[in-house]
Amino acid sequence: MNKSYLGIFKMEFKGELQYRNKAISGIFTQFFWGLLQIYLYVAFLNDTPVNGFSISQMATYIWLGQAFFAMRFITMPKRTGDNIVNGNVSYNFVRPLDLYNNWFCENLGQKIAATLLRFPLIIVIALFLPGNLKMYAPVNITALLLTILGIILGICLSVAISMFAVYLTFKTLSQKGSATIVATISGLLGGIVIPLPLMPQSLQNVINYLPFRFISDLPFRIYIGNIGITEGLIFLGIGIAWLIVLIIIGKLLIKSALKNTVIQGG
Amino acid sequence: MASIIDFTDICKTFKVPLRTKGKFSMFKNFFIRKYKTIEALKNITFKVNEGDIVGYIGPNGAGKSTTIKIMSGILTPTSGNCVINGYVPWKNRREFVKNIGVVFGQRSQLWWDVPIMDSFELLRDIYKIPKDEFDKTLKLLNDALNLETLLNRPLRQLSLGQKMKCELAGSLLHHPKILFLDEPTIGLDAITKLAVRDFIKFINKKWKTTIILTTHDMNDIEALTNKIILIGKGQILYQGSFEKIKENYASSKTITVEFAKDYDNIALDGYEITNHEKRFATLKNLPSKQFHPKEFINEISKNYEIIDFQVTSLSVDEILAKLYKQYEIIER
Repeated sequence: MNKSYLGIFKMEFKGELQYRNKAISGIFTQFFWGLLQIYLYVAFLNDTPVNGFSISQMATYIWLGQAFFAMRFITMPKRTGDNIVNGNVSYNFVRPLDLYNNWFCENLGQKIAATLLRFPLIIVIALFLPGNLKMYAPVNITALLLTILGIILGICLSVAISMFAVYLTFKTLSQKGSATIVATISGLLGGIVIPLPLMPQSLQNVINYLPFRFISDLPFRIYIGNIGITEGLIFLGIGIAWLIVLIIIGKLLIKSALKNTVIQGG
Repeated sequence: MASIIDFTDICKTFKVPLRTKGKFSMFKNFFIRKYKTIEALKNITFKVNEGDIVGYIGPNGAGKSTTIKIMSGILTPTSGNCVINGYVPWKNRREFVKNIGVVFGQRSQLWWDVPIMDSFELLRDIYKIPKDEFDKTLKLLNDALNLETLLNRPLRQLSLGQKMKCELAGSLLHHPKILFLDEPTIGLDAITKLAVRDFIKFINKKWKTTIILTTHDMNDIEALTNKIILIGKGQILYQGSFEKIKENYASSKTITVEFAKDYDNIALDGYEITNHEKRFATLKNLPSKQFHPKEFINEISKNYEIIDFQVTSLSVDEILAKLYKQYEIIER
């Protein structure tokens, strides 16, 4: 990677590492939310598998979702949004950098740091929980490797999708609103609200091929063995294709937004 | 000398939504929006030579920042041509900006929560500055601005003056040919202001950097620039040396006179009485009247007994205020 973009990545990575309390409170929230969700589904489903999705698989799916919440949930770094809204983006313009790549690296740095800070502790605790709450080990070592690949792809996809929030911020000058819209759509279609295997089959036929499910649903289901290795590899290919498409669309959108940008005030 | 900035007939218009007043207007405006176009810049044409320090002045809202933004490649003008250092700023932005430095006095280019040095190192990577050159430049800036103690502290802990020094250093790390300073002395105390001025002069001399500076502080203009461009309501009203403007106004004097006793009425041919209170009066010579101290004493002593008097010329601020008034460019 180009040294300058690596520098931006590192800056945001280091910045995120400073916020230890944010990470700790994040871990607590994720942990209790995970417990709540599992109890809820256990109460409703009463040990019967839905769409071939057993209770133990579901618990594992939910714990993975909580452990990697920072990665799968669409956010925009505060700096990126702030700069666009208050006009500091002027300084982004006077650097010899591609602005899309600049923001992409900013967001990637923040996402990776936030994820690394949170996931180990949640997974370690979840692996030792009793009964229905327990998170299970991956079905086999190939599945684990494929899961790791899928999570790396997922982080990139998550960032590529968040670039649409950056675009919307240019249009609306509201960073919170923009991030919320993109995060809501992505959360619903990506399995954050309801695990995708619990959705009606007809809906799944569509959602399975939209980019959002490749962020986290795919690697998690490879991990629990709900998607086999061959099928998983094919899906990973589709995910990579989506990543390329999303980056191209994002770049075009940002370019058009920059053309019409007016920096207000002195 | 070759011109490094060549601005020809630059115009910039903005479309802004019109807001109507009255009941339910907010509601109406939500559905039906009318726009009006504002001409921020009208046929701006000027040239700047290499190594010049140019002061770009005008009242608030005159179009100074808009011009700077066009010059630095942030905004695209509606029409007109502009070649800076061989580039059209908004066309080859990424190539063009390698040779410019920009400081917006009211914004920050450094990273908020990391030590200044980390920001500088990131800028080094962004501009791909070779290590030895970076160290040399940093040492030079360090000596000139006394940054030593600041480099290890995060930006958020610095005072406004310290911040501005770091911003200036940050904009010069890549040794730009042209430096744009948008109100660099805004909000600074007297000592820091002087330090910043000295530094700007120093860099201009040392590196032959062309500097474009907008400011409301007339002392900046007097101390630094060898050319000014006066802009108002989006048009250039004057360009040339500041000395010339001063000469035009050099003849108007303000005379404060102390009398030996109270006079009811004071009148003097060729002078306007602007203030009179007991034994003190302030007089101004009319444009037709040339002020000579000896003649003045003779004339005023004929009718009045005076103890003391004091003559002051117009301050640079007053000159500028007069200029703005003359061109009717004050916003109302």
